[in-house]
This record gives sequence, C-alpha cells and structure tokens, in this order.
Amino acid sequence: MSVIILLIAAGALVAFAFLAAFVWAVRAGQFDDTETPPLRILLDAPHSKDVVND
Amino acid sequence: MTTAPLSADLFDYVTAPGTVCRHCGDPCAPGARDARTTAAGTFCCGGCASVFALIEEHGLTAFYTCDVQPGRSQRAGGARDPQRFAAFDDPRVTARFVVRRGDRAEVTLPVPAMHCASCLWLLEQLWRFLPGVLRSDANLMRHTVTVVFRPEAVTLRAIAEQLAALGYEPVIDQEPGERTPLSRRHLYLRIGVAGFAFGNVMLFSVPRYLNRAPLDPQFQTLFGWLNILFALPVLAFSARPYFTAALAAARARAITLDVPIALGLSVLFGRSLVEVVTRSGEGFFDSFAGLVFFLLVGKLFQEKAFEGVSFDRTVRSFLPLSVRTIRDGATTLTPIQDLRPGDDVVLRPGEVIPADAMLIDEAGAVDLAFVTGEEAPVAITRGDYLQAGGRVAGHAIRLAIVRPVSTSRLAELWSHPVFSTPKPHRLTALLASFGRWFTIGALGLAAAGAALWWPDARKAAEVATAVLIIACPCALTLAAPIALGTAMGVLGRAGLFLKTPETALDLSRIHEVVFDKTGTLSLGSAVSNVVSQGFDDTEWRLIRHLAAESVHPISRAMAAGLSGTARVEGVTETAGHGIAGTVDGRRVRIGSAAFHGAIDLETTELTTFASVDGGPARPVQVRPAERPGIARAVAALGRGREVSLLSGDRESAALVSTWSSVFGARMQFGQSPSDKLDAIRQRQRDGRRVAMVGDGLNDAAALAAADVGIAVSDDTACLVPACDAIVRGDRLTALPAFLDYAARGRRVIALAFTISLAYNAVGLWLALAGRLTPLATAVLMPVSSLTIVALSAGLMRVRTDRLFA
Repeated sequence: MSVIILLIAAGALVAFAFLAAFVWAVRAGQFDDTETPPLRILLDAPHSKDVVND
Repeated sequence: MTTAPLSADLFDYVTAPGTVCRHCGDPCAPGARDARTTAAGTFCCGGCASVFALIEEHGLTAFYTCDVQPGRSQRAGGARDPQRFAAFDDPRVTARFVVRRGDRAEVTLPVPAMHCASCLWLLEQLWRFLPGVLRSDANLMRHTVTVVFRPEAVTLRAIAEQLAALGYEPVIDQEPGERTPLSRRHLYLRIGVAGFAFGNVMLFSVPRYLNRAPLDPQFQTLFGWLNILFALPVLAFSARPYFTAALAAARARAITLDVPIALGLSVLFGRSLVEVVTRSGEGFFDSFAGLVFFLLVGKLFQEKAFEGVSFDRTVRSFLPLSVRTIRDGATTLTPIQDLRPGDDVVLRPGEVIPADAMLIDEAGAVDLAFVTGEEAPVAITRGDYLQAGGRVAGHAIRLAIVRPVSTSRLAELWSHPVFSTPKPHRLTALLASFGRWFTIGALGLAAAGAALWWPDARKAAEVATAVLIIACPCALTLAAPIALGTAMGVLGRAGLFLKTPETALDLSRIHEVVFDKTGTLSLGSAVSNVVSQGFDDTEWRLIRHLAAESVHPISRAMAAGLSGTARVEGVTETAGHGIAGTVDGRRVRIGSAAFHGAIDLETTELTTFASVDGGPARPVQVRPAERPGIARAVAALGRGREVSLLSGDRESAALVSTWSSVFGARMQFGQSPSDKLDAIRQRQRDGRRVAMVGDGLNDAAALAAADVGIAVSDDTACLVPACDAIVRGDRLTALPAFLDYAARGRRVIALAFTISLAYNAVGLWLALAGRLTPLATAVLMPVSSLTIVALSAGLMRVRTDRLFA
C-alpha cells in the first residue's frame, strides 16, 4: 500500500511538471504560429539586427 | 554583414530566362507590351523590375532561391498613389497602430501578398533596408509582419513604404493588427488540462476494469478521490465554455445542442461524485475527462480552419485613414473621424470620398462604381452633392464636407439591417431544432427509465442518470464542425474562402446562382482585349499615352498596363465625344466618329476611333475579355440549379450578344443596388435559396441578403464587402465543383449523424436495462467520438483533386 502511494505521488509530480511545461509553452507563444518557425529554421540569414551586432 | 548572398543560379535551371518574369514568373516574352529587359533578365512590368533592383542592391537575391519565382506580379499596382501612406506621418494615426515598449516600438501589419518561404525570408530582412528597424517577424499563417523599430530613427510611414516597395503592400485597416489571438491560447490550455486529467484518471480507472472483482476498498476510495481531484479542473476550467453557452441559451429560452452537452456533463460529474462519496461505485470520471477532451479537440479543428482565412473587413478599412484638409491656407492631414462639416478637403485621383461632400472646384469626375454600380466615371460640376464612397477620377478636386463620416450615406448603407442581423445559417437552425428534439427526447427517456424501475428508487436514479449520460450528443457536435471545418480548409486552399464553416452547408442547398454584373464574369478593364488596326507601334504608343489622360472606360482599357513616359501637351477633352492633344510633338485624337468629323463610320458603345497627325481615323475596339471557361462553368452550375444575371450595366446590344449564349433569357440589365436587393428578397419569399456572386461594394446589400454572398476578387489586398465567401477570380470556373463538394459535406454529416445515433441507441439500450457500467461508457464514448472524427475528417479529404484542377 505505502509503496503504491509513493509511486502515485512520484507519478503525479512528473505529470504536473509536464502540465506546467505545457502551460508555460502556451503562454510563451509556442503554439501561436506553427507554420513560420519550421521554415525560418531553414533560412540562414539572421532576422534581427541584434543577432548581427552580438 | 555576415551572410554572403547565395547564388541565384537556381532560377536559370528552373526556367529558361526571357520567357517568364525574373521576379514573379508570369509569362513575358522580351519585347512584349510593358516588358523590360535589363542585365539581370526579363521582367513583366516596371514594378517587378524595380522590386528586383531593390533586392539586388541589398545583396538579397537569395530571395529567388528559396522558392520558384516567389515574387508577386506588380503589374496591377502601377498606378498606386505614392502619398497613400502619408497618414502614417500623423502621430494621432500612428498612436493607434504602434505599441511602445521602452525605447522600442512595435507594429503589426497585415501583408496579404506573403505566401512562401522566400517571402518570409525577405520580410525578415527588413532591418537591412531600413536603419531604424531592429527586427521583423513574419507570420505565414496569419499573413502579418510584426516590425520592432526605434521610433526616433524610422517612421511607420517609411516602414509601410519599404514593404510596398518590396512588393508587399501592407493593408491599412482602421483597426490595428493583433500579434496573437488570446482566445486560441486559452483553447490550448483547456485542451492541455483536459488531456492531462484524462490520462491520469485513466490510470486510476483501468485497474478496476482489468480486475474482475471490485478493488480493495482502500484503493477504491483513494483512486476515487484522486479522480475527483483531477476531474475538478476539467469541470471548472476546460468545460466552462459549454456551461456558459448552455446558460446563455437557457437565458434566451432557446435549446441549442450545448444544453444537452452541459446537462450530460453535469450529470456525469454529479453521479460520479455521489458514487465516490457514498462508496457505492467508482464513477465515470474517465469518460467525463475524455469527453471534454474530445469535444475541445473538435473545437480546435474547427478554429484551425479559420486560420489565414480571416477577411472580415468593415466599411472603415475601405475609407482612407486621413485626408488633406485646408485650414487657414495651410494643408494638414486630418484623421477622418475628426472631419467636421464645412471642412475643406483635397482629394487626389484614386482617393475615396470619406464623407458626403460638395464640390468646390469648377469641375471634376468621380467613379461611383462602389455606390451605384456604374462603371463609367461621372462628370461633376461646382456645388454637386457627392456621396461618400465615390472614387476621384481625372484630376484632384476640392470638396467641402457636408456630413461627418459616421452619418454618410455609405455608412448608412453599411448599417442597413441586412448587415447587422446575423444570417440564420442552415446549420444553426438545424442544430437548434435538433438540440431541442434531443434534449426533450433524452429527458423523456430518462423519466421513462426511472418509471420502469420505480419501486427501486436507487436503481431508478441510476437508470435515469445513465440515460442522460449516454444521450450526451458529443459525437453529434463533433460531426458538423469537423466535416465543415475540413471543407473550409480544403476550399480555402482551392481558392474559395468561406467566412464560417457553416457557410459550406448553406452552399450545398442553393437553388439559384445569381451573377451580379458582367464584370464578375469578365476579366475587368485592365485586361480587356483592345483591338486596333493600322497603327504602327510608335503611333499606338502615342495613342495610349493620350488615352491615359482620360477617365473614360475605353480610354482606361487602352491605357491599362502602359509604362514609360511621354510628353503630353495641350490636352482638350470634350465630354462624351473625345480627347485631343499633342504627344511627343505629334497630334493625336481619340473619340467618336463625329469627333473625327467622319459620320460614315459605324459606332458602337465599345468602339472608338483614333488618328495621328491628322491621318485617317481608324477603329479601336474594346471587348471585355470573358473569363476562360466561364460558359462551361455556368452550364455546369445550371444542372440542378438555376443561373441568372442581374447586371448594373446599361443594356446594350454588345452586352446582350456576348452573354445571351451563356445565360439565355435569364438576364436583367440596368439594375440598381436596391433593385438587386429586391430581386434577391423576392426569390427568397418564393422559398428559394439564392447564392449571389458579385464583386463590388455597390451590391453589398444584395450579397448580404443572399443566402450565400460570394465576392469575386482578383487582388489579394482588395477590400471585401459583407459577404460569406470570397472566390479567387481565376477559380470562379471551379464554382460548380465547389458546390458539389459542399453537397458532399452535407452527406458526410448525415452519415455521421446516423452512425452516432446508432451508438447512442446501443448505449440507451444498456442504460435502460440498467447495465451501463463505467467500463461500457469508457469504451462506447471515445469509440463513437473517434469514429465520427475519423469519418468526417477523412471523407472530406479524399478525392478532392478535382477542386484544384
């Protein structure tokens, strides 16, 4: 019994960590545009002046 | 600069140089009309050549290697007003668009011309073109570009002009663009929470299903409470839209499909809660979380279909942001909201009259195509009352504003009741009646089930709740949004953009297709077939340069696509007769036979005569070029439906002879906007569902009144009236295939409804027999939902190639 409670607690912890990661990703805008970034990664040129200055 | 420009040689492998435009890929042989040949290659027009030169100057020709001819033809944009972004110099205007973040500013502009990886690449190189720009992020899905810049170093106007110079004309809306829609993020969060709960609840429910006997009571209690813990956020957060919708429906005393869903979900949760608390069972929490999860995924499906297809514009985006006003002798720009009666404004050719006004100048010309539907510009004289919405033709005019913008006639047309009342979609009506029927049926069955088991109160309650749970029409709510949402996406890629997925269903039930004006069916004045005989190239060029001075439709057709310059002097225009002048030192006359003093020449509405240096007058004929394949398309539309033409053009022998072969006797000419509206209304009173195909603001009322209003557009950046769908001009011929596809959507939904009802019947039988176990629910519900999703999405996707042919 006590073992399974430990297991459930550990499992729930991991699950909540993933939920938190998902919530962060949505709030950070990771799902806002799913079309442009996959194309952008193929392009070599920097799209910001900051990148060039660094 | 760290990046070396990539080789642009790829272009040469793809197409032999000189046969297509180096920039946009349109066919253009060297020496063709308007074509330019430079060291870099051949261009279809001056616009494309200058965009190429600009890109080359900045060492960015890699643009042409990312995609095959990524440029968009600039031919149509030749006559754009260089001052059109002047409003962005005004801080009162820019303040509405620009978001300030410390010393940086951010603006999001819609750029409809963006369409491929090359566009993305070039738009994100904007900082190389303009010193003050820090970064630019293009969004291909929403066709917007977000520019971050230093406001002291670069103005919004410079940014807009740079984008336009690169061939990406930004659309200036009255309302600023939005970088990210917040509602979408909420939907993702709701789905995430529901999915998270679904998985974890499953973890605690499966042991019971796998164990033949009930679990150890200790575990049962622990798992039950853990399930409640996980299901609570689903109830409070993920499922909330369904409860609010059901509450709103209840308040409006209407029963939508949301009502049985909310009912089913509450009963599902309530009964599960009672079972766990009283330790009488393990509850249905897995079904509950799964149900909400599937419902939300269906909703996401539906919303995804909207992506990149948003075209809802109001009358304000068609009006300019600000106009030049003369106050105390000085010219200033005034935002149109601030215009007062009595203001003295100057409008240049091509600009739209923002409010009802009176002409101060001696004379001028206005193109009223948007207001009255008439193609030819109208001559006006001092004191004439001008309605908002007219476009200035000829030369710049001075006007005195008579009424403020909001009360102008155009705004009144826009606030006409047909625009404000949402159209009763067939689907909405269908679902409303279905929802009512379904709710009453479910409640009745639940009561009957309870009565059946009555002496046993506990069993009766169990049966009644089981009926309500299984009767939850989740699969039904998934079928229509997914089938129609998929249809909307497929049609959008094929060139027909729907405003809402429901439109697809409306489209499948059309009795009659009404075409508005022949302009819809022909290619427009910019591409008319101009036939002239007997002039050499030099003479023809001179004639076209003179024609460019006139606003007459024939002259406009002759001058369309003209490039290069000529010295035009001493122009005299006799309204209704002709125009004369000296071009590059040679005398040129264009006009009617009488204008040339030759009465023996046969004159028709679409013929004019021209002469050079007093030579013989030769005929120039203008024929509106019929869209290729339109006759066949109209014939195909006519199978099973009626097709007719309601045109605003004046009836003429030439028009009748051109279109009678296509429409036969079902043609009416000289129809004013209100005639068209009445005609549509009359057909609807006769019980016919009408689709109206039109192209202008002038028939906006008729488009809005029709069951489906379809606007034809050849320009991605064009303004769009209140319509339900937009079809690309070159895809108009595919309209019959689109309608057939919409009919398929209706059949798929009917099939999905049947299957879903079959699942429900099995579930109800189990429920009434008192044998609906959590396991049976956990299997039945997801299986029925998944079947419906697979069926509706799959059947709408297979064999769609004919739509794109």
